[in-house]
Amino acid sequence: MITPKTTAPGKAVRKDKKSTFEPRIMAFCCNWCSYAGADLAGTSRMQMPPNVRIIRVNCTGRIDISFILDALYQGADGVLVSGCHPGDCHYTSGNLKMKSRFALLKRLLEEAGLEPERVHLQWASAAEGEVFAEGITNMVERIKKLGPNPVGRRI
Amino acid sequence: MVKRIALAQLSSCWGCDQSLVDLHLKLLDVLPALDIVYWPAVVDYKMADLEAIPNHSIHFGFVEGSCRTKEDLHLLRLMRQKSKLLVAWGSCSAYGGVQGLGNQWELNDLLERKFLKADTITEGRIPEENLPGFTEHVTPNPDIVDFEVILPGCPPTSENTAEALTALISGKPYDLPDKTVCDQCPKERKEKKIKKFFRTHEGHIDPNKCLLDQGYLCLGFATIGLCGAQCPTVNTPCKGCFGPPPNIKDHGAKIISALGAIADMTPEELERAFPDPIGSFYFTDYASSYLSRIRGKQRSRKKK
Repeated sequence: MITPKTTAPGKAVRKDKKSTFEPRIMAFCCNWCSYAGADLAGTSRMQMPPNVRIIRVNCTGRIDISFILDALYQGADGVLVSGCHPGDCHYTSGNLKMKSRFALLKRLLEEAGLEPERVHLQWASAAEGEVFAEGITNMVERIKKLGPNPVGRRI
Repeated sequence: MVKRIALAQLSSCWGCDQSLVDLHLKLLDVLPALDIVYWPAVVDYKMADLEAIPNHSIHFGFVEGSCRTKEDLHLLRLMRQKSKLLVAWGSCSAYGGVQGLGNQWELNDLLERKFLKADTITEGRIPEENLPGFTEHVTPNPDIVDFEVILPGCPPTSENTAEALTALISGKPYDLPDKTVCDQCPKERKEKKIKKFFRTHEGHIDPNKCLLDQGYLCLGFATIGLCGAQCPTVNTPCKGCFGPPPNIKDHGAKIISALGAIADMTPEELERAFPDPIGSFYFTDYASSYLSRIRGKQRSRKKK
C-alpha cells in the first residue's frame, strides 16, 4: 500500500506528545447534499477543525460497510458519513439504506470491542453549511475524548 | 510421474480429511498418481517423519486447520519449507475457521471459560505442563506463510477436493469461481422486500421459493459457489461456511451492506433481528475480517 507523505510540519514532535492528539477523521460525503454543504461551509468561511479528510461519493447508499472498516483498519481515528436528510435523497432511498446498514455496523463494532462512537452518521443538506461544520466539530470532540485508534497510525 | 503429497492437520475438526475419504471408490482415480508421505489423520506419522523429509521435495502440501497452538505454527512453517505447492485446505486454513470467533475475547478469558467455568467441570485447572502453549490470537494461515492455492469450505465437498487434486496432478491451475451459492441454488427468486427475519425453527418454509425472500437469513448471496448449494437445496439457510467470493475482502461487511438494501424494516427492527452479528455473519471467517485484524494489531502492540 502506498501511503501519501504528509507535508504537515512538526509531525514527529506531535507524535510523542499525547496531550496534543489530533485525530484523523475520514468523512464520506454524498455529492448532492453534504459535499455541497461542505463546500458552502468553506465558501462562507465557517470555522471548523482541519482534522477531516473528505471523500465524495455519489450517494451514501453507495458506501459499502467494508469501506468504513477498511478506513478504521488503516488507522483512521473516526469515520463520519454525511448524507441527505431522509426523504431528500437524490436517488430516493440511498440514505435510508445507509441508515439500516449503520445500525448493524454499530452493533458489530460494539460486539468486536471497538468503540461504536468512532463511526457517526449525520444528515446535512446543501444549504446547511452550518450543520456540516457543527457536525465536524462535534465529531472531532468525540474522537478526542476516545483517544487514538488502537490499531496505530498508518494513514 | 508419481507426485508426493503431505496432508497436515492443525487445530481443526479434521472434517476435511473425512470429506476426502468420503470419495470412496473414486479415491482410486487419484491415488495411483500420489505417494502419501505424511498424513497423520490416516497413517501413524510423527512430526519427526516430516522434519526428516528434504526441503521442497513434497509436490503438494495440504494444510488443514488454523494456528491455535504454537505447535500448529511450527507445523505450518515446516509444511511451507518442505512443500513446492501449498494448499490452504478448508475454511479453517483459508480464513481461520470457527475458532477464529474466539478472537472477540482475550486468551485468558477463553481459557478461564473453557477450563474453569464450564458447567461440567469440577476442580478445574488450566493445563500447562507438556503442552505447546496457545497463540494469543487466531491469525489466518495465508497471513503467516504464502499459499499457492486456496480451497475453502467447511468442509470442502469430496468433489471440490478431488477436482483440485486432479487439476494439480495434471499441472493445471486451480482458481476459485466468481459465482455465489445463489447461482447454484434451484429455488425461485423474486424482488426482495423482507419484512421480518425468522429463525430456522420458526414458521413454515415454502420449498420452492428463495429462503431469503421468505425471511430466513440465507447467506448464499455473499458466499462463494463451490458447494453446489447443498444446504438451501434441502431448505436449510446457508451459513456462509465457504467464505466470500475471491474479490470480497470482508464477508460480514458485504452481508450487512446487502441486508441494508433488501430489508424493508426500520434500522431498529433490523438491529433487534441480529443480536449477535459476528456469529451470524462471520461463521468461519471472523479471523480474516477487518475487525479481528484491528484487534490483532491492538494485541501485538500491547505485548510490545
